[in-house]
Amino acid sequence: MPDLRLLLQDKPGRRVLLLGNEAIARGILEAGISVVTTYPGTPASEIGDSISAIAKDAGIYMEYSTNEIVATEVAGGAANCGVRVLSAMKHVGLNVASDFVMTLAYAGVRGGYVIVTADDPECYSSQNEQDNRFYALLSNLPCLEPSDSQEAKDMTISATGISEKLELPVLLRTTTRVSHTRGPVVFGKLTKPKLKGTFIKDVKRLVMVPAHSRPKHPILLRNFAKAKEISENSPYNKLVREGKSRKFAIISSSSAYNYAVEATDLLGLDASILKLGMTHPLPEKMIGGFLKKHEKIVIIEELEPYLEMQIKAIAKDYAPNIEIYGKTGKPYFPREGELSTRILAMGLATITGKKLPIDFGKIDERHAEVVRDLPRRPPILCAGCPHRASLYVIKKVAGEKAVYSTDIGCYALGAAPPLNAGDIMTCMGASIGTAEGISKAIDEATIAIIGDSTFFHAGIPGLINAVYNNHKIVVAVLDNLATAMTGHQPHPGTGMTGMQTPSEKILIENVAKGCGVKFVKVVDPFKTKEAEATLKEALAHNGPSVIVFRAPCTLMVVRERRRKGTEIMVCKITSKCTDCMACIKLLGCPALIVEDEKVVINEALCVACGLCASICPYNAIECVKIP
Amino acid sequence: MTEFNIVLAGVGGQGTLLAAEILGAAAVKDGLNVRVSEIHGMAQRGGAVVSNVRMGEKVLSPTVLEGQADMLLGFEPIETLRNLKFASEKTLVIMSAEAIPPTELAAKMAKYPSPEEIIEKVHRFTENIIVVEATKLAKKAGSILTQNIVLIGVLAATGKIPVKTKSIMEALRELVPAKHLDVNVKAFKLGYEYVEKAKTKF
Repeated sequence: MPDLRLLLQDKPGRRVLLLGNEAIARGILEAGISVVTTYPGTPASEIGDSISAIAKDAGIYMEYSTNEIVATEVAGGAANCGVRVLSAMKHVGLNVASDFVMTLAYAGVRGGYVIVTADDPECYSSQNEQDNRFYALLSNLPCLEPSDSQEAKDMTISATGISEKLELPVLLRTTTRVSHTRGPVVFGKLTKPKLKGTFIKDVKRLVMVPAHSRPKHPILLRNFAKAKEISENSPYNKLVREGKSRKFAIISSSSAYNYAVEATDLLGLDASILKLGMTHPLPEKMIGGFLKKHEKIVIIEELEPYLEMQIKAIAKDYAPNIEIYGKTGKPYFPREGELSTRILAMGLATITGKKLPIDFGKIDERHAEVVRDLPRRPPILCAGCPHRASLYVIKKVAGEKAVYSTDIGCYALGAAPPLNAGDIMTCMGASIGTAEGISKAIDEATIAIIGDSTFFHAGIPGLINAVYNNHKIVVAVLDNLATAMTGHQPHPGTGMTGMQTPSEKILIENVAKGCGVKFVKVVDPFKTKEAEATLKEALAHNGPSVIVFRAPCTLMVVRERRRKGTEIMVCKITSKCTDCMACIKLLGCPALIVEDEKVVINEALCVACGLCASICPYNAIECVKIP
Repeated sequence: MTEFNIVLAGVGGQGTLLAAEILGAAAVKDGLNVRVSEIHGMAQRGGAVVSNVRMGEKVLSPTVLEGQADMLLGFEPIETLRNLKFASEKTLVIMSAEAIPPTELAAKMAKYPSPEEIIEKVHRFTENIIVVEATKLAKKAGSILTQNIVLIGVLAATGKIPVKTKSIMEALRELVPAKHLDVNVKAFKLGYEYVEKAKTKF
């Protein structure tokens, strides 16, 4: 990661290598945005993190909000005072925020408001791969789609301008490959952020009761018509290549565009290419004119046939006989997963009859032989992770028959063997409500497993429901004192803000008590015996119970030790070891390996958490200092 | 040069992201167009990770096409094998010799492939391979965490990458925290010097 103060340099013309998300952060500074809100989520996290690192110097207010809807509410409130704002979230975060955003589209904004939604084709770090361009259709809000870091920066600035012109929030939709690809970015001029505005009282505009909302809907549609004009003239909707013949033409957007150009070149295909950067509303006239000039159109986009459905409708008016190839009708490209130059080259070869210059089948065959017997390496809980201790305790006490309703976070990795502590998981905060439903429908114990940040994000209404409707569940809050999975961002329980200033530390046990939970206990997961006894009590309790398993994320502990130069300890197997393999079979710790049928500690990974020592039936593991 | 493609394969925590970024930043210093792809989040937790670095005027896609890698930088032997589909007979494989056995192996009491088996599999794709005990050299430099920089040193010394070694060093100085700089520079040099002695066998 570059020193993020680099982003503060007022050196127009300077060319640097930036991650798509860092480029958006630079765009925030160039656009004069003064309020940035976010809830961390891959692949959007580095937008907020970059701003958090430089907010004080940049004169920007930044916050990690408790969840995405709160993030949009805070930003929307500020935007209605005339200051420029931005909210960043992952795709599923927009589901959480959508209730507010859908109606903010009616009320509108006065300062520019950019909502970044970072989609995750291929589910690299997500529970689904929904295509959020459909939120643009649903809300009638404009949407821009960058294809690289330079555009990510430029479009952040343009989206702010469009938003102010139309008085509407604007969606900026990235994908993992845009947000998490580094590319060269040329700096523009910085704009001084305006922190203070004025709140103009206007009940008819801002209070969305039915009598006010009804007339706002046609106003939104009129703004949408203006947005269409902007799209027709947008520099981001452009012919990037004119083919010699008029036979084939490609329309594409976002990351798919990059693969489309390379696949076209790979095949030596003569085709015009229309690149769409403003994809809502679509430039109907421009597309219509483009269709008229060509015989066959290939539409290349990642995930859903969002462009294709609309372009087919445009074709009906402009070029009814044109042949359109894509994902609907006979599918030439997949609707699921991430695209690649290869996938597109194969689809284009089928459509055009061109021959592929690379024999992918042969490569696949050779590759399959090489990897056939290779052991897999899925992501796992780190060595020393407190979640491993918590989940070990929970599984040991509640057993195989209990149902474990888990949630979004590192601990979801505990659903894999050998812990197998996760039977159902859907979205942020769902563990608690889902457990309640399961507890009504079965007689076995039901345990909700939820992380600290996730608890604050969406767990509290579910917990109140458990008290109100007296659901007999155990809620295990795995509190590692950070939003760990996304990069250790602070949350309401950490006593630190996005501005990197101290604040009130909200304790999960106090929240639970405040919600009316009668059984609330805090345990150290590495003190396994005490934690086991507490869980037994909770299971016997008649009503909802909460146990907070509290120990800091091991990555933070190790980083702190390195910073302080504390002596590093490791575990050591003593002569008492009988090779019973209990530690291997029960814990699945990456620092425990088997060599020649004997357990060995990988000293490079072991952080001496002592979990294996505490569960070893023969007391054959000790923690020692590295000599 | 039309384009130059590097695939970096390893295990989450080995520093593949930093290595890829150093190469990308060095390319920008030399005025090249570049794309560096990264995967963050859940996939990073001790799992298999892959980064791509692509340099060249027309480069747009962040990912390398199968069979088109000029270099495969393997931070771990079986992760190197897992990404051989990006290699061809023209590819130079630079591989760290030290294994990180996946936990799955421990649970299943299965075996890790032998060094001979690994080399044989690489040879099905390319004869060009440099094997380096990167972890050992990293320890010698002063920190096991500099294995990634040892590999960058090896890569620079091969002279195949269209980026000046000076630019790589500059990028390294900018991207590595100041207090760890000496150790990292030492790691780079150990990797660089290793190339003359490198053999094609373990």
